[in-house]
Amino acid sequence: MERLLGGDERAFEEAVADMYPTMLAVARGYVRNRTVAEEVVQEAWVAVLKGLERFEGRSTFRTWVLAIVANIARTRAVREARSLPFSSFEIEDGEPAVEPERFREAGQPYAGGWKSFPTDWRTLPESRLLASETFDLVGRAIEELPDAQRTVITLRDVTGCSAEEVCETLGISEGNQRVLLHRARARVRTQLERHLDA
Amino acid sequence: MPESRRDFVDGYACREVVELATEYLEGAMTPQQMTRFELHLNLCDGCFTFVEQVRATAGMARSLSEDEIPEETKVKLLEAFRGWRNE
Repeated sequence: MERLLGGDERAFEEAVADMYPTMLAVARGYVRNRTVAEEVVQEAWVAVLKGLERFEGRSTFRTWVLAIVANIARTRAVREARSLPFSSFEIEDGEPAVEPERFREAGQPYAGGWKSFPTDWRTLPESRLLASETFDLVGRAIEELPDAQRTVITLRDVTGCSAEEVCETLGISEGNQRVLLHRARARVRTQLERHLDA
Repeated sequence: MPESRRDFVDGYACREVVELATEYLEGAMTPQQMTRFELHLNLCDGCFTFVEQVRATAGMARSLSEDEIPEETKVKLLEAFRGWRNE
């Protein structure tokens, strides 16, 4: 931060590379087109540089930068007449984490219990679990998620943001953040299970 | 399937446990909820495995290679930085 203010190019390069995946994920939460999302990230850095001297350190540098990205992306989304995913996201769809058919029906003994247990992945050969195709599948499954879910799982699980950072950046409650993360992880887990059980 | 013969009267059913996995992993449960939840996991291999699978899923996401900044973007940003520095 001080190195940035001092005009240290190397520090800037590091910050840009380091924050790129997180900034892009935030931008893509609002604008669907990847090229546009990249433009948002660029615009955000220009805004960061302009505001750098006025940055008061009330939030961390990272939170401050992410807020700028989100703001610019929101403006872009409004201009493109896109609905904002986090203002009206599909929390009410109540999609179950696991297909209901996996559990014993109501009225039967042990209703709501597993019909057959999921496979313990630790019993699989490591080569299977760590195969690049398994990781590719995780990446694809994340890409295919609805915007709000993809954004939250990318920020939390891929780029390693904290729950607080995600809530603050996207302007969502802790509860909604958890619901989105849960739905996202559940869908990716289901894809993994199908792949690994096959 | 003898191992799934549980008494669900006082605890969670497996169907509920799977919906609470993230609350649990995020440490967002009340102490009472957590006690009930862990009691279930201790008795139920299926749900224990499920929670481990969710944890593993998050772990795999963490090891994905992240988006790298395109060279072109980097060059543009460096120009912007030099412009800012020279202002």
